[in-house]
Amino acid sequence: MYTPPTTSTRGRVRLNVGGRVFETTAATLAAAGRDTMLGAMVDASWNSGVHDDPAPAEYFIDRDPSCFAVLLDLLRTGDLHVPPGLPEATLYREALYYGLLDRVRSARLGGFDPDRLRLASSVHGRSPGDGVAIRAAPDGGCCVSHGGASGVVRVYNWMLQERRPVYYPSHAPVNDAAYLDASTLLLAARERPGRRDDDGGVSSFSALTGETRHRFRVAHDRQPRSFTATALAFDGGCDVFASCKGRINEYGVAVWDCNTGEQTGFFYEPPGCALGEADRLQWLDGTNTLMVATMFPRTDSSFVSLLDFRDKSVVWSWSDVGTPASLEDKHAVDAVATEDGRSVCLVNQYDDLGFLDLRKNAASSGGVRWRSRSKLATMSGGKTKTKKAACGEETCYPKLAAHGGRLFASTGDAISVFSGPDHVMTSTLRCSNGGAICDFSIGGDRLFALHGEENVFDVWETPPPPII
Amino acid sequence: MNGQKKRGPRIEPFRHRVETDPKFFDKSWKKLHDAIREIYNHNASGLSFEELYRTAYNMVLHKFGPKLYEKLTENMKEHLEEMRTCVEAAQGGLFLEELERKWNDHNKALTMIRDILMYMDRTYIPTNKKTPVFDLGLELWRDTIVRSPMIHGRLLDTLLELIHRERTGEVINRCLMRTTTKMLMTLGSSVYQDDFERPFLEVSASFYSGESQQFIDCYSCGDYLKLAERRLSEESERVSQYMDVKTNEKITAVVVKEMLSNHMQRLILMENSGLVNMLVEDRYEDLTRMYTLFNYVPDGLTTIRSVMMSHIKDTGKSLVTDPERLKDPVDFVQRLLNEKDKFDNIINVSFNSDKSFLNALNSSFEHFINLNNRSPEFISLFVDDKLRKGVKEANEDVLETVLDKVMMLFRYLQEKDLFEKYYKQHLAKRLISGKAASDDSERSMLVKLKTECGYQFTSKLEGMFNDLKTSQDTTQGFYASASDLADYPTISVQILTTGSWPTQPCNTCNLPPEILAVSERFRSYYLGTHNGRRLTWQTNMGNADIKTTFGNGSKHELNVSTYQMCILMLFNSSDVLTYREIEQATAIPAVDLKRCLQSLALMKGKQVLRKEPMSRDIADDDSFSVNDKFTSKLFKVKIGTVSAQKETDPEKLETRQRVEEDRKPQIEAAIVRIMKSRRVLDHNSIMTEVTKQLQPRFLPNPVVIKKRIESLIEREFLERDKTDRKMYRYLA
Repeated sequence: MYTPPTTSTRGRVRLNVGGRVFETTAATLAAAGRDTMLGAMVDASWNSGVHDDPAPAEYFIDRDPSCFAVLLDLLRTGDLHVPPGLPEATLYREALYYGLLDRVRSARLGGFDPDRLRLASSVHGRSPGDGVAIRAAPDGGCCVSHGGASGVVRVYNWMLQERRPVYYPSHAPVNDAAYLDASTLLLAARERPGRRDDDGGVSSFSALTGETRHRFRVAHDRQPRSFTATALAFDGGCDVFASCKGRINEYGVAVWDCNTGEQTGFFYEPPGCALGEADRLQWLDGTNTLMVATMFPRTDSSFVSLLDFRDKSVVWSWSDVGTPASLEDKHAVDAVATEDGRSVCLVNQYDDLGFLDLRKNAASSGGVRWRSRSKLATMSGGKTKTKKAACGEETCYPKLAAHGGRLFASTGDAISVFSGPDHVMTSTLRCSNGGAICDFSIGGDRLFALHGEENVFDVWETPPPPII
Repeated sequence: MNGQKKRGPRIEPFRHRVETDPKFFDKSWKKLHDAIREIYNHNASGLSFEELYRTAYNMVLHKFGPKLYEKLTENMKEHLEEMRTCVEAAQGGLFLEELERKWNDHNKALTMIRDILMYMDRTYIPTNKKTPVFDLGLELWRDTIVRSPMIHGRLLDTLLELIHRERTGEVINRCLMRTTTKMLMTLGSSVYQDDFERPFLEVSASFYSGESQQFIDCYSCGDYLKLAERRLSEESERVSQYMDVKTNEKITAVVVKEMLSNHMQRLILMENSGLVNMLVEDRYEDLTRMYTLFNYVPDGLTTIRSVMMSHIKDTGKSLVTDPERLKDPVDFVQRLLNEKDKFDNIINVSFNSDKSFLNALNSSFEHFINLNNRSPEFISLFVDDKLRKGVKEANEDVLETVLDKVMMLFRYLQEKDLFEKYYKQHLAKRLISGKAASDDSERSMLVKLKTECGYQFTSKLEGMFNDLKTSQDTTQGFYASASDLADYPTISVQILTTGSWPTQPCNTCNLPPEILAVSERFRSYYLGTHNGRRLTWQTNMGNADIKTTFGNGSKHELNVSTYQMCILMLFNSSDVLTYREIEQATAIPAVDLKRCLQSLALMKGKQVLRKEPMSRDIADDDSFSVNDKFTSKLFKVKIGTVSAQKETDPEKLETRQRVEEDRKPQIEAAIVRIMKSRRVLDHNSIMTEVTKQLQPRFLPNPVVIKKRIESLIEREFLERDKTDRKMYRYLA
């Protein structure tokens, strides 16, 4: 409420927030922007009567003063400092009131540094089924896909508040998820035998409300067909890729334009490549190719290929079919292309890292260069083995990710970070509760690690840099 | 569901309050409703933003978002209805002003309403896919006011009426126009386009169609184009003043279509003022205007270009075929050069140095220059004229530019070999008679020809220069070798390599004994130093300086040709000689002898000999004697030869024959070259290939090519295919 000014200095603003008086300048408040509550409040259109008054304006705001202090500090310095004892949820609520939530977010997150990660929080899920996959949203939120019959994907905003969950139509089991942008979620689902024709497939959803946006269809010979989608990728521009398995051996990779939603191509499976049941698709910007990795144990052997969609060709491929029996016990269980696009990193069930050179022909390069059983195996070996014994072999095969020039590998209940050209292990992220990590994802300046046993995921962030 | 139950406790208190205060929404809404009314009434200074914001916040928090949104829409519509009544009531010219005022009010109010409802904008609207408050306000304005039946047509009519008035010269309130069109743009580009731009373009089209009909009948082309230009710039300016930038392109297209495209042919071909007149009168300004304006018109420049081309061809053709012009070759070429300069200037100044226009100019020149088969000769004569007098009348830079321009003309020639032939003749004359004005200029011309046509073209010409240089050395060597030559007349011998020079077979005349003796000595000297050579005296080409003492005692040095020298030397021994006697004594061919005598006896002021009778023609019995009364202001007297600069008709025929003769081996060589690489080829392909190969030198006549092929078949270089008579086969 506006009260008559008491002191006589121009440009100064006196704010009475919930009984505590703050004094600041109109410029500091206006810097928040015209589209925020504070910016509008000091704008001329709401102060037409007091223009000529030399005294500072005084406003009464009926809100919590301690949160306001934090936000005013944010406006003054650009830094977010939350004193201990102030619940984050309250701060976010207040920030939303003033229209400053975006500012809080960008001050809160940002500057992802793989070497300086800190566990920010652990979020407990409530789904009956265990989570099978986690994906980071570009804005710092994430989604957790729960396998099994529920077909539910739980969506969290960047404040880690749960939004309305996304259900795939007719609750088809979800295989993979990908964010097109912060508010659009893409899901790949399995087609179940005996259902009607439009079971499974690929659809996009609003991450805000959970409602279906678009159904991506696949047509063979101009006949729309239902299919099972196993993995997804988005090239950041307008193409969406999915590894598809139709009912009549129509295996391959489908491409859609995400703006029109129309299918723009289908890459049928050539002999010697497994494209229709891939575990991982990855778009490689540098070479304009799509990496398709189909891994043990989904198939008996592992396949990695690079597809070029401009001329519909397989430009590179590798598989471990027919490797000598002595190596049979080593199976690649995940693959990721390094960010420079020069090699593919593999990991086997014993947590060994291996590399494939993309610049050489896979046959002539001599196959995978497995690293001798690394430190990471010996370090976590004991623990992993016991856990694995307890929860069964399948649950927690290691996973890989590449981000910011680093390689990340989950091994048991920890994530190891490898740096440099020789991929030396530089740090380990471990949080003891929750058991082995079954999936993790990096994005929106955060790392999310989903634990297989306790239905809990950890959020790792980079703390603000030291002042000096 | 499981999850919602857990969240329950947090929202429970609100539910309680809703239950305890059933009037919560109504009370809150009333507060906002009143505030909005105050805002629309310009009475917002008493309002507390924080309070209103909090009120709206609470309403959204208590799940009244949908209801609030609905009420807001309803309320805003009411306010807009009121405004509409005001706008509708505005009379005449005040209509736009009222609309503008209301629009400003609405905008201001809308900003403040948006401020109050900011929380709803951030939370309720994105998750429920509603239009944000500000955009909602614009949509309502559009539907309630701009597109209401009473205002929609009136607004458009008013705008178009004002624009029409401005076009006819009235001053209108542009500020008002600007705010109005800006309002339409703010409402969305489709509103601007549908409700203003499209009808505006239609009305403009009919306006300009009418105007162009009216003016094309009474204006000259230049004036009409001026008008069109002014209209175009006016429209551009209008758009920049109060319309969307994108309209510029569209309105320009309309004006261009109505004023220019529809009348293109008529404008360009307009009698007494069209393109041709502009070209003739060098009206650069008009031409520039025409070029820039028709640049907008599809095919505009092509039309201008083709009209210009046919004009150049016509004037060029009348120039090269005018028999009057053929009398003076230098003037003929100068006129061509002037014509070329004229159009070069026009294209550079007015046509933006457009490449396609330059090409058109070149092809037109090429067309008409070759209409006259004497062009090569005339051009060579022109160069001859320039290189003879060069230093006298201009410095070398000027000469250089003239030569460059001549090279332009040379490029147009199809019969370059003919030019070469003439050039060789003229050059030989210049070199031997020592009239070449400047060695540098000669050589620079040679370099130009070399760069244009290659080494082959100029190798013989260069040989001529070399001959002269070695001759000088040889003469010096000759005099150095013998010391007893002082008593003899001094001679300077130029040894010309056969083949390099355009020599005519000529019968050596009888040289005077003094000369004969020294020249025989030279012959033996030369043959002594060079083995296996033959020397023939070309007495028709030399000249001599002779010292003369006339009967009246005056002494002069006469510069004469070798023939003339022979004649004059006869008079050392006799006073009077008849033509027949002279002819016998000198053995000079009759034509040349007559010419020499004419120049000695009949040239005004230079009458060295006296002729009986004093008639122009020379008969066998005419007698000649030394003119004892010869006077001249100068000590050195140059006796010219009455010589035809231009070729006479029989000479022309002869040159042509010689050129044709020279072409034969070139054509044969080309045929053999082609057949050697292709082995088998059909007749038509040979024809085109040969023509292509020889084009830089001349355009071979198909009949001649055919004859050459037959001759080659006779000589067993080629044979006809046994089955297909059209095919030729190369015989290695």
